[in-house]
Amino acid sequence: MNGASDAAGMADMVGTAGMTSTTSASNANRGNGTSVWDAVVGQPIVPALQQTVADASASLDGAPSGSMTHAWLFTGPPGSGRSVAAKAFAAALQCDSGGCGTCAECTDVRNGTHPDVAALVTEGLSIKISQVRELVPKAALRPARGRWQIVIVEDADRLGEDAADALLLSVEEPPDRTVWMLCAPTAEDIAPTIRSRCRVVQLRTPPSDAVATYLSTTEGIDKRTATFAARAAQGHIGRARALATDENARSRREEVLKLPFALDDLRQCLDAAASLVDAAKADAERHCDALDAREVDELKRALGAESTGRKPRNMDAAVKELEREQKLRRTRVQRDSIDRALIDVLALYRDVLMLQLGVRTELINDEMRASLDRLARNSRAESTLRRMEAIGQAREALMANAAPLLTLESMALTLREG
Amino acid sequence: MKFRLERDVLADAVAWTARTLPSRPTVPVLAGLRLDASDGTVTFSSFDYEVSGRVSVEGEVADPGTALISGKLLADIARSLPAKPVEFSADSSKVVITCGSARFTLVTLPVEEYPELPQLPSASGTVDGTTFAEAVGQVAVAAGRDDMLPTLTGIRIEIDGETVTLGATDRYRLAVREITWNPVRPDLTGVALVPARTLVDAAKTLASAGDVTLALGGESDDSLIGLAGGGRHTTSRLIDGEWVPNYRRLFPTEIATVARIEIDSLVDSVKRVALVAERNTPVRLAFGDGQLVLEAGSGEDAQASEALPAQVDGPGIATGFNPSYLLDGLQALGTPFVHMSFTDTPMKPVVIQGIDSLEGEPSSGYRYLAMPIRLSS
Repeated sequence: MNGASDAAGMADMVGTAGMTSTTSASNANRGNGTSVWDAVVGQPIVPALQQTVADASASLDGAPSGSMTHAWLFTGPPGSGRSVAAKAFAAALQCDSGGCGTCAECTDVRNGTHPDVAALVTEGLSIKISQVRELVPKAALRPARGRWQIVIVEDADRLGEDAADALLLSVEEPPDRTVWMLCAPTAEDIAPTIRSRCRVVQLRTPPSDAVATYLSTTEGIDKRTATFAARAAQGHIGRARALATDENARSRREEVLKLPFALDDLRQCLDAAASLVDAAKADAERHCDALDAREVDELKRALGAESTGRKPRNMDAAVKELEREQKLRRTRVQRDSIDRALIDVLALYRDVLMLQLGVRTELINDEMRASLDRLARNSRAESTLRRMEAIGQAREALMANAAPLLTLESMALTLREG
Repeated sequence: MKFRLERDVLADAVAWTARTLPSRPTVPVLAGLRLDASDGTVTFSSFDYEVSGRVSVEGEVADPGTALISGKLLADIARSLPAKPVEFSADSSKVVITCGSARFTLVTLPVEEYPELPQLPSASGTVDGTTFAEAVGQVAVAAGRDDMLPTLTGIRIEIDGETVTLGATDRYRLAVREITWNPVRPDLTGVALVPARTLVDAAKTLASAGDVTLALGGESDDSLIGLAGGGRHTTSRLIDGEWVPNYRRLFPTEIATVARIEIDSLVDSVKRVALVAERNTPVRLAFGDGQLVLEAGSGEDAQASEALPAQVDGPGIATGFNPSYLLDGLQALGTPFVHMSFTDTPMKPVVIQGIDSLEGEPSSGYRYLAMPIRLSS
């Protein structure tokens, strides 16, 4: 089950970082750029990648390519920073000094304006074949700045069958200087034909303390908040950042965690399900409304609206297309918001289970220990497991396009029964 | 920034620079056209990370400066202005264009976010603009259109001293044209694979410029190609990867049969007969005895046939081709007659070349090779 993949990229986007390029740039800049690898948190594989960067650099001067290869697959659980790692790797390959974080190459890769780094980011639910068709010719270009032509596919698990087929030929035999970087939760999410051409970089869920340290040193968040956010986010960096910086995200989470305590009768169960869906809609509105408006505005201005005298041609078509994409994004934001809530509830039952089984381990929701104790006393481990199972099933059903309200209602009823 | 230009000069410059602008830019600023005014010169530039264009024209510059404004809109405006001097004046957020009694106010885009245009690589030599445009157009007909096979969507430019060889293929046909030019060094060599669409467009718009400078950069910087002429500069990224290796060997050396035919009537006949040829079925050509018989369609389906006078030297031969591939080649020749050469088997490709008279031998450097379709009989 990799239903969790949903929340992955999106939490980063919806949180505070990715959606607006200005924020993400300033976030990264605050690191003072000792290295592009600073943003890759708690990953023991980094030195190996750095070695590859050195090999790659040497191969440009004619040395054997060593550990460098032309197709990479970054895998790891949601929030482990797959696309962040891929971008860091890309920047390090383009940089003269292995990813200094300050030179023009590093900055351009970070800002998404490097001519030799193309990234396919999907904000919708799947990657369309037309997007792949636009990408493949880019992979065939010779690098304009002389080092590597890099193509990053975030959320490669969202490639449909035909989109994956379209990609295959190019991933199989790219030109000498072209490097593909795909990102997906697990290697199994990628068609075997493509997977077999890639070298896999496996990332792990970063330990909470590494995330906390990252948040406090890089993003200037106070230690206590950082520790809480890292623990509550269960190693999901984007989510941790959102919890640490966004009051709204915190209060949303608190609301969600009240849910298991208010499932006494049918009425409450249905209300709980409805409130999850409503909150997701509200989330989507909060994140998308302003953003949608701004994007349309920017596009119109770029095409010359607001000028007096004449209405630019093609503008309506371009705006319509943008709006279509925005609608898909909204669906995904809603879905991801529900998934995030479910993960939080799942973590709560996990804590309950730990208490019931007497396992001495750090509780994710340590601050609500008393309530957890109460829940643990009032039920048995078997029913907690059944509840967790129900949440898992609901997440899978939602991934498979089930109607959100129905799915959540059914889940809430199972949670009540235990 | 404040300057004044003639309307025609402005319209030309803007139309040329704006032609490559994306209608749906990935980054908003890329929809912009950059204006730089200094010292009696106004420069217009555009860039989409793959193709850049820059043109400099003379103008009365009252106040030097820089501005970025929506390119497509400016092009629309420039086209429709009355034939009077056009005055541009810009403050930090707006550009006002005045021409006669017409007045436009355009919002500026943030010029500081605009990427730096790539430098033109160092010049490799010059070529006559018209010849170059003709040659590019002739080979481009054979270039692949499938973006999923990017190397075949390119035109290969090979420089060997005073000869430039252009080539394109989509695996079913291959077009090659040789032209002579003036390299900066007589021993210059180099190879580049340029996106066909970009090269066709650039060559066409530079055709009237007289001498066109080709800039391939050579060993030091082989990531771009530059073309310049008549104050216009354009650069394009190159396609990487292996083109057809050793393509010259694909042209058969043992010629058994040669047919010479008048092109216009052959083109008309092929078009007529092809009307009944279903998708992916050939037009069949049978050469022999002073005539060519064209046929298409078979069995229960619609059929067509037509005979044409042809001068055939050598044993008769019957073969078949995709009609549109055949037409592409015939129409690219630009001569009154075609010289078609065959080997002794219908399975080998035909080579099409242009001749000026029925007795002539092919002389121009253009060769178009088409693969036959196996006839099912």
